[in-house]
Amino acid sequence: MVSEEEIKDLVIARLESLPENQKISIGSKGEFNKYELIESVKKGDEIGKKIIEIELEFLRALKKGMFG
Amino acid sequence: MNILITRPEHDDTTYYLSHWSKKILDFAKKKGEKIFDLNRERATKKEVTSFLSKKNPEFIIFNGHGDDDLISGHKNEALIKAGENEGLLKNKMIYAISCKSAKKLGPESINAGAISYIGYDDDFVFIYEKNKITNPLTDDIAKIYLEPSNELIISLIKGNSTNESYKRSQDMFMTNLKKLLTSEAPSTPAVRYLWWDIKHQVLLGDKEARLR
Repeated sequence: MVSEEEIKDLVIARLESLPENQKISIGSKGEFNKYELIESVKKGDEIGKKIIEIELEFLRALKKGMFG
Repeated sequence: MNILITRPEHDDTTYYLSHWSKKILDFAKKKGEKIFDLNRERATKKEVTSFLSKKNPEFIIFNGHGDDDLISGHKNEALIKAGENEGLLKNKMIYAISCKSAKKLGPESINAGAISYIGYDDDFVFIYEKNKITNPLTDDIAKIYLEPSNELIISLIKGNSTNESYKRSQDMFMTNLKKLLTSEAPSTPAVRYLWWDIKHQVLLGDKEARLR
């Protein structure tokens, strides 16, 4: 069982790989650079929770072999 | 065929969606379709209501922000809201690249008589390059998200059914995702957001409907 902290660390590691010149548009929530998203994940605010939800949905799909 | 498109441009997200929609405008015009373009400050509830009643478009493309129960336009003014004016979408085919609106507004539009509603039942997420903001069409990272969205519209205008068009869009999203997974940077966050968009793009209503 993966802990919440481990998931956060994983998501932050992914975000750190985002190039400096890229931003992420998350619908009506706005546009964010990687530092803002990493901060949100650490704080566990609405944006951070969304980013974690996206990561978990992707990991579930990987586990099911959806991209084979 | 009459088509209505809304293209607010008041922030980075709407600016990108609006500029990528220019490809749709060009395609529709080449096909000889009448496309009514409510761009920037013209993307208001008043203008949309007026166009829907006077021009009776068969197909409506909404670009902009949204929520479970609404689609918004210029400076996030609600254009269509569940429980208020979704009846305006009766007998129309709709594509809304407007976050979450397929969750509640979509089903309620179908209940109110819309033929079909294709949209997203959660946030539409995409990555873009800050230095491409002045020319979004040259942004190759945004392209992997926005081209499959355009593909859906182009397919509908070509006369394919809603289901065929939805499938084409899903297939293009998936092709882009697999390309990223086999690239030099398979752990890129871009893959996650692409999968999210694929999962949350939904087709409601008549799956065999097509534009005349």
